[in-house]
Amino acid sequence: MNEKQIRELVEAVIKNMDESEIKRLAEEAGSGSKKTAGALQDDGMIPDIRQDDYTSYLEVENPANPTEFLRIKKQTDARIGLGRCGNRYRTKAYLRILADHAGSLDAVMSEAPEYLIEENHLFPVQTLCRDKDEYLSRPDLGRQFSDEMKESIKKSCTMDPDVQIIISEGLSSTAMERNTNDLLASLQQGLKLEGLSSGTPIYVKYSRVPAMDVITELTRAKITIMLIGERPGLSTYASLSAYMTYGGHVGMPEAGRNVVSNIHANGINPTEAGAHIAAVARKMMDQKASGTDLQLF
Amino acid sequence: MRQEIFSVGIDIGTSTTQLIFSKIIIENMANEYSVPRISIVGKEVIYRSAIYYTPLIGNREINAEEIRRIVTGEYRKAGFRPEDLSTGAVIITGETARKQNASEVLEALSSMAGDFVVATAGPDLESVLAARGAGTDAISRTQHLTAANVDIGGGTSNIAVFQEGNLIGTSCLDIGGRLIKVEKGKVSYIYERLQKLLEKQGIFIRAGDTADSSAIRKACEYMADHLCQSLNLKKRTPEHALFYTNQGTPIDGEIHLDALTFSGGVADCMGQEVEDEYIYGDIGPVLGKAIRTNPDFQKIRICEAQETIRATVVGAGTHTTTVSGSTISYSAGQLPIKNMPVLKISEGAEKSPRLVKEEIERRLPLYYPEGNAEQVAIALTADNYTGFKQIQELAEAILEGAKEIYGSGFPLVVVTENDIAKALGNTLRFMLGKETPVICLDSIFVNDGDYIDVGEPLVEGSVVPVVTKTLIFNN
Repeated sequence: MNEKQIRELVEAVIKNMDESEIKRLAEEAGSGSKKTAGALQDDGMIPDIRQDDYTSYLEVENPANPTEFLRIKKQTDARIGLGRCGNRYRTKAYLRILADHAGSLDAVMSEAPEYLIEENHLFPVQTLCRDKDEYLSRPDLGRQFSDEMKESIKKSCTMDPDVQIIISEGLSSTAMERNTNDLLASLQQGLKLEGLSSGTPIYVKYSRVPAMDVITELTRAKITIMLIGERPGLSTYASLSAYMTYGGHVGMPEAGRNVVSNIHANGINPTEAGAHIAAVARKMMDQKASGTDLQLF
Repeated sequence: MRQEIFSVGIDIGTSTTQLIFSKIIIENMANEYSVPRISIVGKEVIYRSAIYYTPLIGNREINAEEIRRIVTGEYRKAGFRPEDLSTGAVIITGETARKQNASEVLEALSSMAGDFVVATAGPDLESVLAARGAGTDAISRTQHLTAANVDIGGGTSNIAVFQEGNLIGTSCLDIGGRLIKVEKGKVSYIYERLQKLLEKQGIFIRAGDTADSSAIRKACEYMADHLCQSLNLKKRTPEHALFYTNQGTPIDGEIHLDALTFSGGVADCMGQEVEDEYIYGDIGPVLGKAIRTNPDFQKIRICEAQETIRATVVGAGTHTTTVSGSTISYSAGQLPIKNMPVLKISEGAEKSPRLVKEEIERRLPLYYPEGNAEQVAIALTADNYTGFKQIQELAEAILEGAKEIYGSGFPLVVVTENDIAKALGNTLRFMLGKETPVICLDSIFVNDGDYIDVGEPLVEGSVVPVVTKTLIFNN
């Protein structure tokens, strides 16, 4: 069932309900959380069920110890304690899974928010992948550039910076859209405070993580930081990771990278993450090391 | 990553003076791929001093010289030098805090006991420390009870109530085992206010009289009865209000307690039968028995305290220190800073940077008793400031509002609840330039009017130890 079909179905169901039924359902849904409602709001819009914080309430009937259950439930995004109908999820929980799944698909499939390139003065390049399908099916092409592309990077970007910043949507355009501005601004400020020079920030379309090593070799950056969208899941599809190397090169072992993952509004706040990543870069510079060789404490 | 730090607790109480040394273990609890989350993962008392009678000169002054001798002696026995200690607390509690030279003694001790040992007092804090030392907060949290600890010392009884592990009330009464002293069969001392309250009940006890066992028993039963009233186990009588230390207030009358723990010296007397009731030269054993046999105390579940006579000092030595968030920003060489008053931005003013600026400007002068700028910590939740732009606007507001602080040569200290200190601190440092020192910490929960001490950085500079005084929050 695609999104259009779901919307048509929901609208058909709502049309067939009488007013009092809608009101009753709205009240019922409202008892779990104020933001939730299963029915139309005053402005005629269907509320976004993804705004509902399902970790904050319990829908199990007659729990033996609701306080403790809720305390445990709050620790995780996992869909527990949402009740059941026979051996199935309840409608609200099931719709939410569908919605989250759709959010993940959107994050992977949609093209990167290109307005961010101009806003943040990024130098845009592209790997050997020609389109999204090729990007998803050919990881090997996502880490290579054409000779012309390499030449243009060499020609247009600052050479020998302390730090080279690279941004890519990776597997989540949503992650890039939501986190780039705060993360980048905070990271650049942090690098200045740490006394590290930073080169021309580069945007790579259709990129896999090791593409950063090619760019490291081209700009001869000491440290390279790649901010890339993570593979989405059902609990979040807007999460971004920062991969970092010192002295990176093509073919380097993965153990040579540091990563700060889970950067998003409900994970590590992107602004705070940017400040933290700058401090890690300072440690890399001091120790001339990254990955498992870097002593963070 | 794992680091052990050492902490000292020194309690100079109405009847006894004690020390403990404890080990606090700090560890990064986050995985390799996250920003660090450095937390206190263990606390262990590693040395307990002997229990000394608090040395007094007459009834009005603490014998400072003798205290100094006790403390240096115990440091030597425990094998600790002041420089080994990262944190801790010296407190003067109960009736001793009312002695003429209490604050001088505190100050002298605090500077000699270690660079980061702080001086604190006050009945609310004492109640909380004793309860944490007794483990009442843990009982409340793990067993889902509303539980109170009653720490019955020589001069005061300190009550702290916890619900699901969270502090919901404190109280302090002038009820204790050494408010009447009995030596060689004679009453050698009686606390004036208690004497007057007893006289109204027709119980006459005067210093110099031969100790009248029946009168003393009645006096203790009367005090036990008022303890019951203070814990809502019994209806409060009109004169009950007179029992509260410094005209303090009782706990909320609506609180219904599920369980109690007893600590303090008198708690030890509750379990034991003694041949000579005045073996300690006071009425502790008589009071203990009066509480044990009081019918109203039979109605409530009594849990065993982890610590009794040492509860307050264990609380002071192990439960005062917290660590800041693990992503913080500070200029080198400014720490430690002790006794900083906290200016907490009100919830309403946090709504906009302009209101933040105005509130700081308006209230800062109230923190200058001499009229000149002093060190003040600006505190806020910062819940609504997460984006880079928002943080920049907040930083600008703080810089404008708090000009007097950093303009007078003090470091700018900002503490937040929300995890944004590194970004906010960086922004402040960026805007101010290198010459002006900035300290910005997060995961710090404080209230207006609190005082904080910030210690030297730990774990390769990732976190700093923080002690909050006058009110302590449970994380």
